[in-house]
Amino acid sequence: MSVKEITAEHIEELEVLAAKYPVRRSALLPMLHYVQSVQGMVSPKGIQTCATVLDLTPAEVAAVATFYTMFKRFPMGKHHIGVCINTLCALLGGDDLWKELTETLGIGHDETTSDSMFTIERIECQAACTVAPVMTVNWEFMDSMDPAKLKELIEKLKTGAPVQSTRGTLITSISDSERLLAGFNDGKVNDSPDADDSMLAGLRVAKERNMTAPIGKGVR
Amino acid sequence: MTLTSDNKATNTQELITATIDGIQMQVPKGTLIIRAAEKMGTFVPRFCDHPSLAPVAACRMCLVEIEGMPKPQPSCAIPLTEGMVVKTQMTSKVAEDAQAGVMEFLLINHPLDCPVCDKGGECPLQNQAMTAGRTESRFEIEKRTFPKPLELSTEILLDRERCVECARCTRFSEEIAGDPFIELLERGAKQQVGIATDEPFNSYFSGNTVQICPVGALTSSAYRFRSRPFDLVSVKTTCEHCAAGCSLRTDYRRETVMRRLAWEDPEVNEDWNCDKGRFAFGYLKTNRLTQPKVRNLDGNQIDALWPDAVDIAAAGLANAQGKVAVLLGGRLTLEDAYAYSKFARVALGTNNIDFRNRDHSEEEQQFLGSAVAGNHNSVTYKELENAQNVILVSFEPEEESPIIFLRLRKAMQKGNLKVTAIAPYLSKGLEKLNAEVVATKPGEEGKVLSGIDIVENSIILIGERAAAIPGLLSVALEVSNKTQSKISWIPRRAGERGALEAGALPALLPGARPVADASARSEVAKVWGVSNSKIPSEPGLDHSQIIKAAINGELKALIIAGLDVLDAPDPKLFSEAINAVDFVITIGVQENSLTRYANVSLPVAPVTEKSGTFINWEGRPRPFGKAIGSTNALTDARVLSMIAESMDLDFGLQIIEDLRMELSELGIWNGSKLEKPQFESKEIVDFKNDNVILSTWHQLLDEGAMQVGEEHLAGTQKSSVAYLSEETAKQNNLTTGDLVTVLNTRGSITLPLEIIEMVNKVIWIPFNSKDSKVKQSLGAKEGDIMLIEKGKV
Ligand code: SF4
Ligand code: SF4
Ligand code: FES
Ligand code: FES
Repeated sequence: MSVKEITAEHIEELEVLAAKYPVRRSALLPMLHYVQSVQGMVSPKGIQTCATVLDLTPAEVAAVATFYTMFKRFPMGKHHIGVCINTLCALLGGDDLWKELTETLGIGHDETTSDSMFTIERIECQAACTVAPVMTVNWEFMDSMDPAKLKELIEKLKTGAPVQSTRGTLITSISDSERLLAGFNDGKVNDSPDADDSMLAGLRVAKERNMTAPIGKGVR
Repeated sequence: MTLTSDNKATNTQELITATIDGIQMQVPKGTLIIRAAEKMGTFVPRFCDHPSLAPVAACRMCLVEIEGMPKPQPSCAIPLTEGMVVKTQMTSKVAEDAQAGVMEFLLINHPLDCPVCDKGGECPLQNQAMTAGRTESRFEIEKRTFPKPLELSTEILLDRERCVECARCTRFSEEIAGDPFIELLERGAKQQVGIATDEPFNSYFSGNTVQICPVGALTSSAYRFRSRPFDLVSVKTTCEHCAAGCSLRTDYRRETVMRRLAWEDPEVNEDWNCDKGRFAFGYLKTNRLTQPKVRNLDGNQIDALWPDAVDIAAAGLANAQGKVAVLLGGRLTLEDAYAYSKFARVALGTNNIDFRNRDHSEEEQQFLGSAVAGNHNSVTYKELENAQNVILVSFEPEEESPIIFLRLRKAMQKGNLKVTAIAPYLSKGLEKLNAEVVATKPGEEGKVLSGIDIVENSIILIGERAAAIPGLLSVALEVSNKTQSKISWIPRRAGERGALEAGALPALLPGARPVADASARSEVAKVWGVSNSKIPSEPGLDHSQIIKAAINGELKALIIAGLDVLDAPDPKLFSEAINAVDFVITIGVQENSLTRYANVSLPVAPVTEKSGTFINWEGRPRPFGKAIGSTNALTDARVLSMIAESMDLDFGLQIIEDLRMELSELGIWNGSKLEKPQFESKEIVDFKNDNVILSTWHQLLDEGAMQVGEEHLAGTQKSSVAYLSEETAKQNNLTTGDLVTVLNTRGSITLPLEIIEMVNKVIWIPFNSKDSKVKQSLGAKEGDIMLIEKGKV
């Protein structure tokens, strides 16, 4: 699959990102997300480009790009699907979700379907254990999933029918999400609530009972 | 016990009291535990720690117990503090167990292939696994493996399995060399050193990482699998490749040099050296001359016995008395250059001698004679390290004197130093020095130098290229006086400063004594045991004048030693000169294009096969001993003694001790010096649109004669490109990537163009790289006016 070229316009947008920070190299992570939104991956050329814009060596950029698993060095499909495989999700059905997903798509971790529609990944705790088991589509949450919902989700994505995150946001593509992660506002920030009632239950109880975190050893 | 003078300790001598293994000691505040322990004789095992690199505590091998701390701590990263009580593995079971634990982890994925590993036998991991490890591994499952080796560059190979992720190599590349082309990639169990795709580890200092890698993970293509450390004999030597004067360790086996390493010398090269000095010794085995040759009556060169060749040489010289000149290269030892200097005067009765086989001038001779030769107060590396302001003129440190580059970089990183470069553009090397460039056309350096604000007590470093720019050296001396700033001349070749001190110049005798000074002549004549009148009182001809005189038929014989015609200021004229004289003696290590013109060709010993001294740019003597003895190759001095003997002269320089004794007998000269140069600068004439000024210098790794036979090293050369400013490129209808041809009446050079930020109306091309040989193709020098055209002409 051919990877999209980085053009002069893209470099302009990378410059915008670099200019946001007092020290330009701080922009590297957003820039890598941006490259990923353009290319569906971080290619050697993408690494080169970031290095040139930030006046780093390609090796320095590669060190960062290879450290974070969110940056892919192979072309992703249109959608990126993650299944949380950490303890809580796993126990509450995450393992079944993963099995279902791999069997449905016929691919494994960090692999892409031959039609370039899906890339799937076993992901770590998304800090959403209250609504386990959790999946993500293009890093948007799919809370409290089960295999049936998963099947339906895949069908819809395949046919291009509109899909919303269980929290509200309309799912488009990993490319759009990466652009958002890079720091370009998509105007949809209010489409998903920050947290639902189940997530706030603990806080509510604590407030009612006037509970605070213990002060003492190890707490600053 | 009080420990001071630690290299990493802070400058303040504030002392604190602490205890290690029950021994109370006072150390300067800031002293790391590992260093203090070392000084009291306790070696805490370590991998990532290196005294010249900032601490990272990456490998965890150096864990010790510190009273009051819950867990063992890395002694390489923690400074002793007042009252601290530390226990190393010598007195603490906790520390001992911690170290054994770390060692066990390190060995889990280590291949333990010591029997086929270059490092086996000199490996910190091997050694420390013995002292701080367990005898049997408890790890029974499969080890992580990687395909091996990974080629980081054509010269540096990586066996990832052996790596202990200490990050010495990556830290060196970033901190010291400023070339972060290798990095720790990936994470967790997959963490590995690597390069970015298509961006090899082409750093001029890459070889140092092989030396400091504490395991056999980094190896050099040239040495890999060639030898075992315990089969090698090591000798301390001095590098012959440039005037930095690096101390090297030459390791040889069965009379063959197998590898060279940096020999730590805190005053000069510290722990490092450059890749040229480390890897370029293949020339020792390439085109070596071993047999004297003479030209017979049919005009053919035939092998000759030493006595015959020497007699023929002596007879030829006697025939040409009064019409002889001596042309030297800049690569001779002090002793050999001295022998030529003496031979020219005593045996040939001439001052026609010059070591400058490169662009030079009378102005330069005066500069060298008045301000450089015999100067015992020259700038030192230490002074550079502590300097506040350094001004670079006609000098590109990373390419032309890499250890100066490293020292300036060190000073810059300490935050003291501001480097100002009078140069056509901000090179990558200058960028790494955080230098400010005053963008200057070649030819206008003098004007710029006298125009800029220079703080008192700055240091001016002026390169040998300055000789090509009329008036520049005169101005530089003036500016140095006016601003009370020391000035130091940085030659490129290792033998230039020594040859200068030896008096291998037409107006100078040894020790900066002017030829024209009667008492100087008589001092020297006395030591040489000849009458005063033996040394001509008139200065002789310099290199270019010798060439001209030869072409005009005014000379009959030439002695040409240690030089290659391809390096000459004008190779074409040089060849004409050789053809014009009757009798040519060449003396050298390698066969080159000159040898075949010789009536007598005499082979001499390379640096490995003799002892001698190089004087580095600081004026510091760098004596070295003979590494390989079995070849019986002779020094230049010995060969000259033989010729002198055949001329019935008592020359007396048979062995190195004779030479050194005579040099010390000559002692220091306190008399007059050559006049300070007072030459006018030349105004740059108006020129047309497609005319540009040539700027050019040697790249460290290029097609130099002493880099032959080293393909791995050659693979790390920079690619040859030409630079132009945007404006000048536009005027000539050129853009980046185009081919641009630089031409003059002599010839042309065509290179791909890169547009960079630089001074207008100047083109920069490499001096002696694969597709850019300025002397051979153009016979030109920096500052010359050239024509440029688009495409290949
Ligand atoms: S290659 Fe050698 S120097 Fe580099 S991190 Fe690995 S062990 Fe350390
Ligand atoms: S810097 Fe100069 S003296 Fe030192 S190793 Fe390199 S070439 Fe040799
Ligand atoms: S374990 Fe899955 S979100 Fe926390
Ligand atoms: S030597 Fe101290 S952590 Fe590596």
